[in-house]
Amino acid sequence: MNLLTLVLFLPLAGFLAALLVPRDRPGLVRGFVLVVSLAVFVLSIGLALPQAPAAQGYWFETNAPWIQSPAIRFHTGLDGLSLWLVLLSTLLTPIGILISWNHIDRRVKEFYAFLLLLEFGLVGVFVALDLFLFYVFWEVSLVPMYFLIGIWGHQRRIYAAVKFFLFTMTGSVLMLAAMLYIYGVTGTFDYPTLLTMLASGRWHVESGEQMLLFLAFFVAFAIKVPLFPLHTWLPDAHVEAPTAGSVMLASVMLKMGTYGLVRFCLPLFPNSARHAAGWIVTLAIIGIIYGALVAMVQPNMKKLVAYSSVSHLGFVVLGVFSFTQAGLDGAVYQMLNHGISTGALFMLVGYLYERRHSLEIADYGGVATPAPWLSTVFLITTLASIGLPTLNNFVGEFLVLQGSAQVNFRWTVFAAIGVILSAVYMLWLYQRVFFGEAGEPVRHHVYDLSRREWAAILPLLVLMVWMGTLTQTFLPAISASNARTLERSNVNVEFQVKARTPLVAGQAGQAEARPAKEPPDAR
Amino acid sequence: MLDTIFFYLFALLTLLGAVLTITRRSAVHSAISLIVSLVGVAGLFLLQRAEFLFAVQIVLYIGGIMLLFLFVIMLVNLDRAERERQFSKAWWLALACVVGVGAEIAYFLTKGPAAFQFPPGAASPGVASAAAGGNVERLADALFSEYLLPFEMASLLLLVAVVGSVILAKKRI
Amino acid sequence: MSQYYTATDHFVLVPAIMLALFGCAILLFDFWVFPEPKQRKWLLAFLALGEAFAGYGLWQQHTYIAGQGIAELTAFQGSLVVDGFSLFFNWMFIAAASIVALMSYRYLEVEGEHHGEYYSLILLAQCGMYFLASGADLITLFVGLELMALCFYIMVGFLRSDKRSNEAAMKYLLLGGFSSGFLAYGFSLLYGLSGSTKLSEIGVAIARRDPADPVLLLAMVTTTVGLLFKISAVPFHMWAPDAYEGAPTTVTAYLSVGSKAASIAFLLRIFLGPLASARAAWEPLLVFAAIASLTVGNLAAISQHNIKRLLAYSSISHAGYMLLGLVAGNETGIKGVAVYVLVYTFTNLGVFLVIVALRREGLVGDNIDDLAGLMHKSPGYALLMLICLLSLAGIPPTAGFIGKYYIFLSLIQAGRYVLAAAAALYVAVAIYYYFRIVRSMFMSDAEDAGAMETTFGVRVAAALTGLGTLGIGIFPEPFLRFAGQSLIR
Repeated sequence: MNLLTLVLFLPLAGFLAALLVPRDRPGLVRGFVLVVSLAVFVLSIGLALPQAPAAQGYWFETNAPWIQSPAIRFHTGLDGLSLWLVLLSTLLTPIGILISWNHIDRRVKEFYAFLLLLEFGLVGVFVALDLFLFYVFWEVSLVPMYFLIGIWGHQRRIYAAVKFFLFTMTGSVLMLAAMLYIYGVTGTFDYPTLLTMLASGRWHVESGEQMLLFLAFFVAFAIKVPLFPLHTWLPDAHVEAPTAGSVMLASVMLKMGTYGLVRFCLPLFPNSARHAAGWIVTLAIIGIIYGALVAMVQPNMKKLVAYSSVSHLGFVVLGVFSFTQAGLDGAVYQMLNHGISTGALFMLVGYLYERRHSLEIADYGGVATPAPWLSTVFLITTLASIGLPTLNNFVGEFLVLQGSAQVNFRWTVFAAIGVILSAVYMLWLYQRVFFGEAGEPVRHHVYDLSRREWAAILPLLVLMVWMGTLTQTFLPAISASNARTLERSNVNVEFQVKARTPLVAGQAGQAEARPAKEPPDAR
Repeated sequence: MLDTIFFYLFALLTLLGAVLTITRRSAVHSAISLIVSLVGVAGLFLLQRAEFLFAVQIVLYIGGIMLLFLFVIMLVNLDRAERERQFSKAWWLALACVVGVGAEIAYFLTKGPAAFQFPPGAASPGVASAAAGGNVERLADALFSEYLLPFEMASLLLLVAVVGSVILAKKRI
Repeated sequence: MSQYYTATDHFVLVPAIMLALFGCAILLFDFWVFPEPKQRKWLLAFLALGEAFAGYGLWQQHTYIAGQGIAELTAFQGSLVVDGFSLFFNWMFIAAASIVALMSYRYLEVEGEHHGEYYSLILLAQCGMYFLASGADLITLFVGLELMALCFYIMVGFLRSDKRSNEAAMKYLLLGGFSSGFLAYGFSLLYGLSGSTKLSEIGVAIARRDPADPVLLLAMVTTTVGLLFKISAVPFHMWAPDAYEGAPTTVTAYLSVGSKAASIAFLLRIFLGPLASARAAWEPLLVFAAIASLTVGNLAAISQHNIKRLLAYSSISHAGYMLLGLVAGNETGIKGVAVYVLVYTFTNLGVFLVIVALRREGLVGDNIDDLAGLMHKSPGYALLMLICLLSLAGIPPTAGFIGKYYIFLSLIQAGRYVLAAAAALYVAVAIYYYFRIVRSMFMSDAEDAGAMETTFGVRVAAALTGLGTLGIGIFPEPFLRFAGQSLIR
């Protein structure tokens, strides 16, 4: 049992233990889950420490058989891509617990237990190196989120929860079918093995076949991201979810989709991914501009932030499908940035809601007077979100735009419009909420940040500045793994050759082992 | 020659009974016509030298089942049913069944014994059974040797049926 | 021991003898020794004893076969056969019958129809299932089927003062008898085709025939219709919703797992045995039935308000999944069906157990709204229900996922991608209606605050089903190996 396994299973143990706590001791549950989640976070910092070069392999690898036939292995490991996402999950869980402290007043035990279960699922998704295991964690993470929205959400919570679940599930069963197909052809679910087989040419796929497989994976991930026409579940889920649910959903769960794109779609189906890049990027750019425009006219703060997520994640997809080092680095960096700044925005909106019990922008105005610190924090977060230099989003957006400019300058132009629009809607929001005449309810109910709220938001503020200035803490690991991904996505798969016989190790390779073709030009 | 005459006699009885069964308005008359038809079938069995089936047909169908039918008919008030037009709406289903069964019979008639594969020694049933000591003996042999297990299982089945009828019918158990 | 009842015959028959013996013993003891209502718990002990003896017999068969390294052991001139397949299913029947008996005790008290005959019928029905799983002869199989079905007709109508129960029993009896007629007709044609009632000899005779022979087709179609009736596959599913709804809930549970598993075993025996060579002819029929079952089962379940009815439609759709495994026809597929049936047994028992536990004076508990706020009232049962529903829907890490996974994998290996995709998409539909129950349990507020009254037996049964559902999902390996032994030939 290495550190990673510990980080993975500690939340599960915490979940089970939390269920055993007596129902009438909510304070005990809160304290207990907070301690567990903090312990997980502290342990997970240890994951970031070694950074020893992991040339081909992964850090903290565990590879144990789980099911013999068909061969499914409990294979987990970290690389530069997943490392920071794991840390993001473990960081946001205690924060989510902190911000729910007074907010959740019914079924307290279950709420916190579900948060820990969610953490287990999320960390599992990011560290699984076996397709089957990945799918299992993917589904495990769905269930607690369904309950977080459905039980502790607002008025239309049930509709939102069901919509969320059905959208994600529909995509993922197709992905499962594609995984089984891959298993049928290659005889393995193991991700590194699949990559080796692909690189050595032992696993060939026809172009039509590859495109179908790619689409099955892509749709599952695109729903989760969410990419433009598949985004309709997101505003509902965000608006109806409790604050902690929104934060986890926006900050970490959406990243499952983009993570999947980088982890699976690019290296496993390189040709199709490149082939489809054109229209995917088009959808991403439509998403960027559409999300921004819709966000601009929202009267509801949470909905506004939700649509801004659609816009921001368009950048990530754009970066991923630019197939450049800068674009990919920017995309991964932007995943983390979005997690932190949008997470912070949802938290702050949640703070406002706790005070005024309204999400309508029209109910606010002049909040800066009674709550100066809250306004300041909100301003910093807003500026981070619109990409002010020295704050985190700037780095990511810049890299993405740089990467896309290397491929097609028109993409950059359109995407940059999205950046400008984001400044418009965020600053306008800020102006309407915090400036102007403070109404009676605002003056009465809105108070400044409490110590607990400070404790929750401060780490995120620190990170915004840290990630905006000291990029070298994060980027090298990300770049290294992205370089590998890019290299793999350059593998040209022979379209003529077809392998139907299972290529299990041993009998494999004899039939049609041939060296990979020279990688084609990236553009 | 005699066989042929008897065959036509029994066949006529069977058909006549069947037609009367579905055309009679009174349920009691229908039931009695059905008995006539069943007697015809029993006669046909006898002509085939299937003595056991003949006996079973008489004892079980006519003696047991039809008698129960008659009891039920007499217990249930059927006056109303008698006055109503008696055409089922599902006549097309019946028609389809008739056509299906007719086609099947036509097929077997044209194809003859070649449609089936008979167990060795049973190619000409009458002769073989006579040689082995008769139809009934052969049946008994099979029932208590080769088919011992299903025979015993059937006793369990009957037990369950008795228990079930008691449970479902008795007011206090 | 004579020529017709040898030591081997006895050895093979022991579990069935034990079941029948204790079934009869319960009838007698209920009448003479334990006439007081309070003494009925002794009958439960009798049942447990019967299961234990049957289990011991099975265990001996298991070790004998493993020890001798033989694939099968035939008895009664080939009428009965003990192989991995029969053992697998019989172990499952023991588990199902025991769990059903455990949860019945309090339920029948509440219903006011607590009679010793009930336990006897459970054992006798299981005896019929034994013959279905290990029969290799048309007559044995048919009588076994009727034995099981007759017990179920009675048990479905066990609530004699309840109109719904009576109606359900009547409907089930009529349609069941109708389907048995089809089956008997098909069997008689099979006999005519081969001159034998033994499955192996029928197989040889059919393999020699022209696959397009009209008599063969007629035999196959009628047999298939009869079998599809028994597993409640569309278009022969009409009896299931009514029977499931009207029957006492414990009987519904037994019906949905025991009868279904036995019928599936029966179906596999016929289709993989004598009819294997006519695969080209029956495969389209089964594909149609499977897709129709998935469609009708899943779509009709959406609009149901009664949980038992909903589960009836869901069980129809599960029959569709099981058929798909047979359609795929490869080793993975057959193993998949076995795993699926095993998983389904534990999961469905768990779901029905919660409904049974809900039943108390003044609350029927079979409406979805009756589950409202179950999470407050008794979180343990809510959790059990959640796990089982997730499993029915096929969401990891529950057992149901493993079952579905095998079915999908087998379809993909067989190159039937369209079927696999359709089956996968119906999972999403299924989630919708399973989650209606979840929604009611977790997200609505309780309408009445009455606490659940449970007994030790119900709690034990709950633990068993919960552990089974989760355990197979997380540590599937031993179960998969077990199911792997069950392949026929």
